[in-house]
Amino acid sequence: MIEPSLALYGEAYDRVDQHIQELLDVTGVRYGLLVDRKGFVLSHKEALWAPRPPALDSVATLVASNAAATAALANMLGETTFSEQIHQGENGTLYVESVGSEALLTLIFDASVPLGKVKVYAKKTVAQVASILDELKDLPPVNLGDDFSQGATSLLDDLLG
Amino acid sequence: MSTINFAAREINCKIVYYGPGMSGKTTNLKHVFSKVPGHLRGEMVSLATEDERTLFFDFLPLDLGTVKGFKTRFHLYTVPGQVFYNASRKLILRGVDGIVFVADSSPDRLRANAESMRNLRENLAEHGIDVKDVPIVLQINKRDLPGALPTEMIRAVVDPKKELTIFESTAHNGVGVFETLKTVSRLVLEKLSKS
Repeated sequence: MIEPSLALYGEAYDRVDQHIQELLDVTGVRYGLLVDRKGFVLSHKEALWAPRPPALDSVATLVASNAAATAALANMLGETTFSEQIHQGENGTLYVESVGSEALLTLIFDASVPLGKVKVYAKKTVAQVASILDELKDLPPVNLGDDFSQGATSLLDDLLG
Repeated sequence: MSTINFAAREINCKIVYYGPGMSGKTTNLKHVFSKVPGHLRGEMVSLATEDERTLFFDFLPLDLGTVKGFKTRFHLYTVPGQVFYNASRKLILRGVDGIVFVADSSPDRLRANAESMRNLRENLAEHGIDVKDVPIVLQINKRDLPGALPTEMIRAVVDPKKELTIFESTAHNGVGVFETLKTVSRLVLEKLSKS
């Protein structure tokens, strides 16, 4: 029951990974993440030359919360959402763009990378990734079954005593 | 509701600690953070004011391990409890898989407990979530307080139909913290395997 859709999902996410990698290669961005609106990392790529990234779970959570807060702000101002956020610091930039209604493309790069270039290429990647996420919507939900629950419960016992 | 990432074979679940201001939500997370071994948890993120009141949220990722080939992870969040932070509180409920309602045993916080529970129901409804669809565990905290109200009295106010699993706790020394988390996690996982 699980197996066929697994392969399909895996293949789709491989394509997402590939698009993000291409974006990194062409623009010189350090880290590229696809984060869902709830703050979970769906996919991430880092440039080979880049130093070890900060805690990605924390980055994803803060990016998603920030997007949620600015979306609420957008609603107050009569917009449906602000699709793009740019935070520029002295040494680097955080660039976040909506991918459909479910995900956020997050790019982190340093001051040597021109923002305009990143924007141009990011738009292309966003369109590609959005169409992959759209395909995934039509897939049937996965049934994890009872033994998943049992296995998870015993791990819970180990972790929490 | 849970995010299942098939490429990385990860299942992510979101658990939110809800409740009135100062009831002990952040203290719960801090205790979990201090007791869980480092390789199973990520960094704790706290967006708090100078006097350590939660301003936006606290966040703690927790790794359960691998179940049937899926790396299973819980993301624990708290909300700011004060009444006037509702806009950000509502954002944090987005995509929630399980809720711990932390009630305060103090006699002068009974009404605050009731208001917070009503606020939770309203906020869930605005996200289009039926209260009955989300596992909720009730934690009656600060049991060591002199003059702490009887558990049944607090329950009568926040859970009059006695539908929720209930735990007594004193979060600052860890009593009842893991029991609560374990129960809500189990309810979330059971729901996940059924859906």
